Amino acid sequence: MKNIKLIGVAFLILLTISCSKFVNYSAQEDYIVTTADYFKTASDYQSLLVGCYTPLQWLWSDPMIGDIASDNAMCGGESATDNVGMQQIHNFQIVPNNSVLAESWTDCFEGINRVNYLHQNKALLNFTGKDALYGEAYFLRGYYYFELVRLFGDVPLFTDHKLTVGESKTLKRSSKSLVYKQIETDLTTAISNLPKVQTDKGRATLYSAQALLGKVYLYENKFDSAAAVLERVINSNAFTLTTNLADVFLKVNQNGAESLFEVQYTNLDNQHDYGTQNFQRSQGNMMVQYCGIRKIAGNGIPYAGGGYSFDLPTKDLQSQFSSSDTRRDAAILDVAAYAAANQGFGISYSDAPYQNTGLYNQKYQPRLGETSSAGVSQLNYLNNYRVIRYADVLLMAAEANNRASTPNDSKAQSYLNLVRKRAYGNDSHASSATGVSLKQVIWDERRLELAMEGDRFFDLVRTGQAASKIPNFKVGRNEVFPIPQQEIDISGLSQNPGY
Amino acid sequence: MKLKVRLLCIGIFLSSLLFRVNAQNNIVVTGKVTNKTSGLALEGVSVVNEKTHKSTQTNESGSFTISVEKGATLTFSYVGMSPYKYKVNAAEVIAIQMDEEIKKNDEVIVVGYGTQKVTKVSGAISTVKSADIEKLKPVRAEDALQGRAAGVNVISSGSPGGKPTVFVRGIPSYKGSDPLVVVDGAVETLDDLNSINSADIESINVLKDAATTAIYGVKGGNGVILVTTKSGRKNKKAEFNYSSNYGIQEVARKLPVLNATEYAAIVNEGRLVDGNSIAFTDLSKLGVGTNWQNQIFKSSPMQSHSITARGGAENIAYFVSGAYTGQDGIVGGGDKSYFNRYNATSNLSIDLTSKLKLLSNISFVNIRGASVPENAINSVISNAINFDPTAPIYNNVPGTVGDFSVSKNIISEIVNPLTQLANVFNKSNTNKLYGKIELQYNLLKNLKITSRYGFTNVDISNKSFSPLIYYGSNHTSSTLKADGTSNGTGHNAVSYDKDTYYNYTLETFGNYTFKVAKEHSFDVLVGISAAKNTGNVVSASRQDVPNNSWNWADFTAATGNASNGGVGGGEYRFEKRNISYFSRVNYDYQEKYLASFSLRRDGSYEFGANNKFGTFYAGSLGWLVSSESFYKFKAIDYLKIRGSYGVTGNDNIDHPQYLQIYTGIYEYGKGNNTGYVFNGSPVNGSTLSTFANPDLKWEQQKQFNFGFDARLIKNRLSLTVDYFERNISGLLFTPQLSMYLGTSAAPFANVGTTQTKGLDLSVGYTQPISKHLKLSSNVTFTTAKNLVTETSSGYIQGGTYGIPTSYSVTRYEKGRAPGYFYGYKAIGIFQTQEEIAKNPTQSNAQPGDIRFADINGDGKISDSDRTMIGNPFPKFTIGWNISLEYKSFDFNVYIYASSGNDIYRAYERNLAFTNKYRGILSRWTGAGTTNDPKSPRVTFADPNINTRASDRYIEDGSFIKIKDIQLGYTVPATLYKSKIFNKIRLYMQVKNALVLTKYSGLDPEIAGGIFDTGVDRGNYPQARIYSMGIDCKF
Repeated sequence: MKNIKLIGVAFLILLTISCSKFVNYSAQEDYIVTTADYFKTASDYQSLLVGCYTPLQWLWSDPMIGDIASDNAMCGGESATDNVGMQQIHNFQIVPNNSVLAESWTDCFEGINRVNYLHQNKALLNFTGKDALYGEAYFLRGYYYFELVRLFGDVPLFTDHKLTVGESKTLKRSSKSLVYKQIETDLTTAISNLPKVQTDKGRATLYSAQALLGKVYLYENKFDSAAAVLERVINSNAFTLTTNLADVFLKVNQNGAESLFEVQYTNLDNQHDYGTQNFQRSQGNMMVQYCGIRKIAGNGIPYAGGGYSFDLPTKDLQSQFSSSDTRRDAAILDVAAYAAANQGFGISYSDAPYQNTGLYNQKYQPRLGETSSAGVSQLNYLNNYRVIRYADVLLMAAEANNRASTPNDSKAQSYLNLVRKRAYGNDSHASSATGVSLKQVIWDERRLELAMEGDRFFDLVRTGQAASKIPNFKVGRNEVFPIPQQEIDISGLSQNPGY
Repeated sequence: MKLKVRLLCIGIFLSSLLFRVNAQNNIVVTGKVTNKTSGLALEGVSVVNEKTHKSTQTNESGSFTISVEKGATLTFSYVGMSPYKYKVNAAEVIAIQMDEEIKKNDEVIVVGYGTQKVTKVSGAISTVKSADIEKLKPVRAEDALQGRAAGVNVISSGSPGGKPTVFVRGIPSYKGSDPLVVVDGAVETLDDLNSINSADIESINVLKDAATTAIYGVKGGNGVILVTTKSGRKNKKAEFNYSSNYGIQEVARKLPVLNATEYAAIVNEGRLVDGNSIAFTDLSKLGVGTNWQNQIFKSSPMQSHSITARGGAENIAYFVSGAYTGQDGIVGGGDKSYFNRYNATSNLSIDLTSKLKLLSNISFVNIRGASVPENAINSVISNAINFDPTAPIYNNVPGTVGDFSVSKNIISEIVNPLTQLANVFNKSNTNKLYGKIELQYNLLKNLKITSRYGFTNVDISNKSFSPLIYYGSNHTSSTLKADGTSNGTGHNAVSYDKDTYYNYTLETFGNYTFKVAKEHSFDVLVGISAAKNTGNVVSASRQDVPNNSWNWADFTAATGNASNGGVGGGEYRFEKRNISYFSRVNYDYQEKYLASFSLRRDGSYEFGANNKFGTFYAGSLGWLVSSESFYKFKAIDYLKIRGSYGVTGNDNIDHPQYLQIYTGIYEYGKGNNTGYVFNGSPVNGSTLSTFANPDLKWEQQKQFNFGFDARLIKNRLSLTVDYFERNISGLLFTPQLSMYLGTSAAPFANVGTTQTKGLDLSVGYTQPISKHLKLSSNVTFTTAKNLVTETSSGYIQGGTYGIPTSYSVTRYEKGRAPGYFYGYKAIGIFQTQEEIAKNPTQSNAQPGDIRFADINGDGKISDSDRTMIGNPFPKFTIGWNISLEYKSFDFNVYIYASSGNDIYRAYERNLAFTNKYRGILSRWTGAGTTNDPKSPRVTFADPNINTRASDRYIEDGSFIKIKDIQLGYTVPATLYKSKIFNKIRLYMQVKNALVLTKYSGLDPEIAGGIFDTGVDRGNYPQARIYSMGIDCKF
């Protein structure tokens, strides 16, 4: 009798104690890898780092923004309502619910969160190559924040950890200067940890970080610092200008002698997740598809048909090049002239249905055999996006020297003329300008050298030329794009002035 | 101990001798028994001598004669009357007046973790008793609740053994709306009700308000169905029940479609409108052609047989049963679809010691089934409605395979339903063992400890074969050529899956009853429960079965290779774990003032780390007004007022959340890829791909209930009315997160809310009309109004169908009734081009096309003009049961009505050569012919998209169904004089005898949960069943 009572009581107590355990859950029960199973080996960290690079690929719209928003290119496309977000960017009727900008916003923050996740777990394991690995990670965070700050100005700044659900709607925008400060910190850390050469082509190197930091300094008008860090790249003698600029954009020259950093794409992944929730976040470069000529066909042509005819170079841009400048044809494909010059090919194509200029972005033209046959062809172009190449470094160094607290115009000229020599194939176009006129020469040179590479709009804003060069540009408003409306609605962030 | 028993035995023996001696002084007592109220004589009253158990019965005039010893006590008992005792003092003639049983006052009702005197209940419970269930003999127990349990909405399914849609008090959530099912205290699910033999059921109680469901906490939110099975009786001889029922099922209604001539005329007309040449040049030879519905529906048998035995000895009571239920499908007949169930049940109660009792209720069920494609686009019925009526039934083309014809005209999607049926091959076998083992220990006189292990173990194995089929040379679904060889577009395949489910609940609780100062009664319950559900599914399939034949459909015989996808397999498992503590205090003061409070704390494996445990509670108060001394109101014999309020839950989270590290290149469809490219080649990367919501928790349901129970007219009329309001919060939706959180998948969060208000009412009436005629009737009324009050992010949609594009027609959206029909409002037909020009822009409209309403008033018809166009759920339902008893005859009619439920006709395909609903005959044929928006011109090109989801396809599905008519005859014992039988009843029954409805389709009752109820894609109709049967007791 007593025993039964005791057993009963004991049973109840035991049951109570074991309870909370009984309802605990471990994802391992479902064979799901979680944080608890991770950060055990160096390869866990390496794999997460690869994930930090991924959002670079999703930012394929940004290079198009740089030209479409400037005097370099028309938007194009099928009609005024084809990719409305991009059309609005071109005609400066940008509304805050712009899907193109919302995508860039989200992608950059995803990259930042991924780097932060690596950062927050840094202390859990020591392994060989850890510092270099984190160097790459911080480089990428710097990259994403730079992309954000030049698109949107003040943005939420967080570097400690990947945000949790609980932190949704809690952040405010930090000032541009704080964001730039963080970018400098990240890139400086990267520089002190990154190797000069990476075995895996496509990874950030010491020079990638130095070149990007130089660019960031220019945007901050810190010309002395810019000159110093850019000259370290130049003086390393690790880079040369490719003989023909046009060749830089060929498959064979991806990650070539002139390349400091490229966003890597491939046609080997056969992706077909087209349009799932309108995500076009594949491993191929969709910008190339956008830049293509509609229905071009012909025997022996290198170009692939079926393009969307976006990002169409303006006649104004075309007219800037002197006839002896090889960079014109490297940047612009005049399709009618091309067809006329190659009668034997029997070339046919459809004119761009909207904002046709007859000109196309030659640097990112879709080429035959460069997308996948098994996946959706539009999603799988292998063309890397050339973020910074040596010619850019030379022009930035030239500008920095020209605008430094103690200007060094002869140095600036020498860098500028290296670029010109390649463009014309000789020294006859060497510039001997100095001072303010040299500054303008360098700025104009940037437009020619970097045409259709996505830099023009940001350069115009940076150098204060935007209002004079871009129709409809409103000073005090269009220097930055609007914060996506959805984010304002959800998170209560403040909007940029004028939107 | 042994010695004691022996002494006791000797004592009993001696005393029985003593009685024998006394019995010598017998006296004869005669008398007459009448009903005190009506004064009528009572026949068949059993008159028992309490001591000797000698007994007799009263005759037709209520008279009896019995010889007893002096001083003996006679007990008079009769169904429906209070037992009466009389002490015999001398040989005498006595007149006994029996009182009608003060109904239910001593009745006890099963509640969560115990029983309660009905008069003391202050919550809301609906009850269906064995008598009703035994009469109805439903295949599934829920069918017995339809219209009989107020507050419960049951939308029955027509397919054999098919699961109905069941809602207790409205539609709480967009998912997981099934009520909890508890069988004899063991927790089960609504799906498990397919396996209970109706003859085993003693009662079904539906717990509706928070006061009664809160004891089930997070499981109780959708209501609780308590099934109590029969148990044995101590010290009783075995009592056997045998019942047998055999019936024939047939389809009750057919959908009116065009005959061959009409069809050809309409096809010609449509082709001309679209600018094509006519397809049928000579209509005169076509006649009526084939009505494919006549071909697929078969009369098929249904039968049930069951035998039960109950009884007991000193320390043991038993109830055992065996049953068989077989139902063949009316679509295609028993060759292709059937539901055969074999049940065996053993309920034992054993007194292990005077204080320790063992209860063991174990049932084994074997279900064998086969099914045809149903309730979907391109199901057999859908094909029968849409297939070419000009095609003959049988294949009359020499040299081609198949027994049945092919259509010359239909070359995609729609196929000959007979060919489809002939090529359906599947079978399933379910073995299920369920029940409970329970120990009850009386620790003190008033303190009982119960420990119980309830379990369900289910093993299901399915096998199916999909052969290569010839539907016509040009038909896109054909996988065979006309000569029977493969056309190379597909493979045949044999598929298997084996599902195993194992659930258990381990519970220990104590019931303590005590009184304070005689008038304060307390009944206290404290307990703990642990539950675990696990499931595992393994599947395999292989292509290329030899001879394209079911006879060779076997994994090893098939020859498909893994290398080209010819062999497939999969595995899936899940687990759920819950732990709960619960307690309840029932209090009453003189059985007049009632109060109850229950509390449950539930922990679940599914909940987020910050919300592992939730607390649920409810309280109720009741006042038995009629028990007050000051209560003098004669018209109402009994009146109880009660109210309750409480909080329960609903844990329908599919899966616990976790922070997953995804590794790979590409997570399909998530937009959150992780790969990158180095050296020109893709490489795997990783990322933390999910957010977990550590706050994730249950849906919370707050319910208020107010009601009363009354009995009037000398207890003949009983009335129960309950009004309730439920506010449900915490419905799971994906919240919108700040974009700066990146692209990891947003987790579910508890954001949605719903409100339901309603009224449950039941009225019972019993009236002995004359000596032999007795009338009783019950009516239930159920109504609930549902409103989705928050969804945070948009809506959830369902009810997809396609004509020919796929549309979604039901929605769960803020500000609307859950699962409402969503689409355009058709408001007329454009008669002329001018009219088109005058109205809001509707691109591509031509005269004869439907004019849609410009709901948002922007001057054009676009997607944003879609709105609410109907509600598939009834405004109210009524169940009405009428019973008449006349001498040995009994007659029963049961009527069920549903009002305000809309139906969406989703079966129609507007392909050029598909057959059409006859409504098309009133189509628009020129200006002024019709302005009925349901009757646009015939066009298959359909540039205006007249076939878009609109109220053109909505019909009122309100119905009145005579669900059951039964005429029984109880053979008077005098006729067979058998010692073996106690009762023999023969009966005839018609189920679904009559349907009154405006709905044009096969059956207005269309089950399908929240998103598919009322969407008629070719719904499997409930069969009309003519049956006869026998019930006997022996």
